[in-house]
Amino acid sequence: MKRSFTRIVVALLLLAPLAATGQALEREVKAAFLFKFLSFVEWPQGAFARPDSPIALGVLGADEVLDELLRIVPGRVVQGRPITVRRLYYGEPASGLHLLFVGRAAGSALPGYAEREGLLLVAEQPGALEQGAIINFVSVDGRVRFEVAADAAERRGLRVSSRMLSVAEYVRGGKP
Amino acid sequence: MRLWQAIRRSVRRKTMAVVLATTLVALLVNAAAMLVYEVGALREAQVADLLTQAEILGRASAPALAFKDNKEAAQDLAMLRARADIEHAAFYAADGSLFAVYSAPGASGGPPERAQSAAIDVDADRITLFQPIIEDRETLGTVYLRARSGLRERVVGYLGILGAVMALALAVAWLLSLWLQRAVTRPIQAVAAAAREVFERRDFSVRAEKSTEDEIGVLAEALNRMLADLEREMGERREAEGALKAADRRKDEFLATLAHELRNPLAPIRNALYIMQTARDNPAAEAEARAIIERQLQQMVRLVDDLLDVSRITTGKLALRRERVDLRAVAASALEAIEPLARARGHRLSVELPPEGIIVNADPTRLSQVFLNLLNNAVKFTDPGGRIEFHVAAQRGELVARVRDSGVGIPPGMSDEIFEMFAQADRSLERSTMGLGVGLSLARRLVELHGGTIEAKSAGAGRGSEFMVRIPIPGTEAQLPVREAAEPLVSPASAVTQGHRILLADDNQDFANSLAAVLRRMGNEVRVEHDGPAALSAAENFRPDVAFLDIGLPRMNGFDLARRLRALPVTAHSVLVAVTGWGQPADRQLAKEAGFDDYMVKPVEIARIQALLRAT
Repeated sequence: MKRSFTRIVVALLLLAPLAATGQALEREVKAAFLFKFLSFVEWPQGAFARPDSPIALGVLGADEVLDELLRIVPGRVVQGRPITVRRLYYGEPASGLHLLFVGRAAGSALPGYAEREGLLLVAEQPGALEQGAIINFVSVDGRVRFEVAADAAERRGLRVSSRMLSVAEYVRGGKP
Repeated sequence: MRLWQAIRRSVRRKTMAVVLATTLVALLVNAAAMLVYEVGALREAQVADLLTQAEILGRASAPALAFKDNKEAAQDLAMLRARADIEHAAFYAADGSLFAVYSAPGASGGPPERAQSAAIDVDADRITLFQPIIEDRETLGTVYLRARSGLRERVVGYLGILGAVMALALAVAWLLSLWLQRAVTRPIQAVAAAAREVFERRDFSVRAEKSTEDEIGVLAEALNRMLADLEREMGERREAEGALKAADRRKDEFLATLAHELRNPLAPIRNALYIMQTARDNPAAEAEARAIIERQLQQMVRLVDDLLDVSRITTGKLALRRERVDLRAVAASALEAIEPLARARGHRLSVELPPEGIIVNADPTRLSQVFLNLLNNAVKFTDPGGRIEFHVAAQRGELVARVRDSGVGIPPGMSDEIFEMFAQADRSLERSTMGLGVGLSLARRLVELHGGTIEAKSAGAGRGSEFMVRIPIPGTEAQLPVREAAEPLVSPASAVTQGHRILLADDNQDFANSLAAVLRRMGNEVRVEHDGPAALSAAENFRPDVAFLDIGLPRMNGFDLARRLRALPVTAHSVLVAVTGWGQPADRQLAKEAGFDDYMVKPVEIARIQALLRAT
């Protein structure tokens, strides 16, 4: 009996870091993807004040992802622009932001940011595209993938590279 | 080594070796250069192509790598199926781990597990490269490509083509060398063969075949000309040798004949002397003996004269003393000399002479000698009771004299040879007609000196012969009157040859004394001296009206003596006559300048002296 218990404890001890690792991976992957999206999206003219104005990222309701972004972003440049990341609080407007990631925890706030011109709205919950998100993270076979609402992006003056669309899990609207 | 020897000894092999070696070297160098260039260019192209492929792949699959989409990346790689040369391909994630893999069906091995730094590795068969994928300065991962270069197959195929080309080129070169052989080597070989044949057989009639117009043709022609020259010269040398031998043989025969001829008169003379000694009281027998001596002496004098003439001919000293003479007189003098002999042999002599007044510019003595020789031959070579014709005419600017007889004739083919010195038509020892064999030769030489020709004709042995002399005479002189020189040829004795005071100067005492005796018998006063100074001092007291001076006098020669005599008042107007022995310079001009009035050559004829005395 005592022996079986020991076995279970050992198993649990072995499994615990594994679970933690899975969570850590998802967090890292999503942060990395958010950063990569910047390379494949063109913002409308007037979205930036100057040619070297930074691309502003906002994170709402996903502190782990925020932390990860804050870790990888400093010093990196995309499309010749530096990148800034800030935390967004519930109900706070997305003014000045070029990309907003709304975490699952703040999923209800998603529609509030829809239809905003020049904002790449990214979410991570089922049906997010119907609620106004342009990119939505989905999980396929335990891997992080994403789907894109090309029509919504077009409506908001954003151009998503077809090269990125080619690796999207699902693309709504837009050219086939 | 043996091959090298074989090549060295033959022009044909040399040309072939040169042609083949040149072709081979050119082809090899060309092939090597092409191969190096081709391999380099091929590699470069393949590397560039593979780099481009990697670039395209990286660019197309950048999103897949960025968003970690293995499936998409694998699909991108799968498109490489279209490229049969690519065996393996792979994407590595930014951390260097294998991300997506493609392997061509049937390809062995696979991509390495970990990415490597950017590199291109080319070996004989394959090109391998690692190429980082960079997007927006972010390294997204690495492409790995491994392709068959096919370099080995290309090189093998290339070498195969080169081999075929080389074989073809060598075949063409071979044909070319065969043509060269025909165009160059064969003519050279022909020339060489001709040269070898000449050397080995000493046959100079061999000729090299000239088949080209180039330098070799010139060579062949030069060789042929040289051979022709050699052949001709050898022929000439052989002919000259033959002629020399024949002349030598004739000379030997001549000497034998001469001994006989000189010996023959001696016996009758000795007999005559014996008769004169034993039959003093018999005037008829004595007269007969004198006649014998005179005839035999005459014969000997003629022999010796002939000998002198032979000597003059062989030493080139026979010269003419031309003067304007009547042709009829010349012919008559010859006839006069031959008539007694012809009569003695019982020949019938038929003569036809031109009318008087045909003047020719000739040496009367020599021309007469020509006729006499021909007539003498006719008389001698015709059996007793024969017929002899002598025709002399002047026609169309030519003197034509013909002597025809009914004698032994001339064997066919000998009509030229009989004119050679010492030639005898009949060489047998028992021949009845003796002679020195110089008469005809002398006649021909004399005619030639006159600018004429002489030829012999005969219907054959025993059928008689005919000799024809032709001498050109200028037509304008044909009608000129006779002026001189005919005189000495006529020799009737005359009373006006006496009463002269004559000085004889000659170192030959026998000649001088005998001539003095003759002149005294003619009724002249004669003084004899044997050297120049003595003659000069004698002349002052003796006051000769005629002086015969030898040119070759001791202590003072005849020319000087004549000048001194002319300077003396007592002999200033005397008749001075130069007398020269043969072999001395016979220059009339010189004698005239020294003051001589006349000029005589020994042996001096009494008749000429008589004529001269008559004229003085």
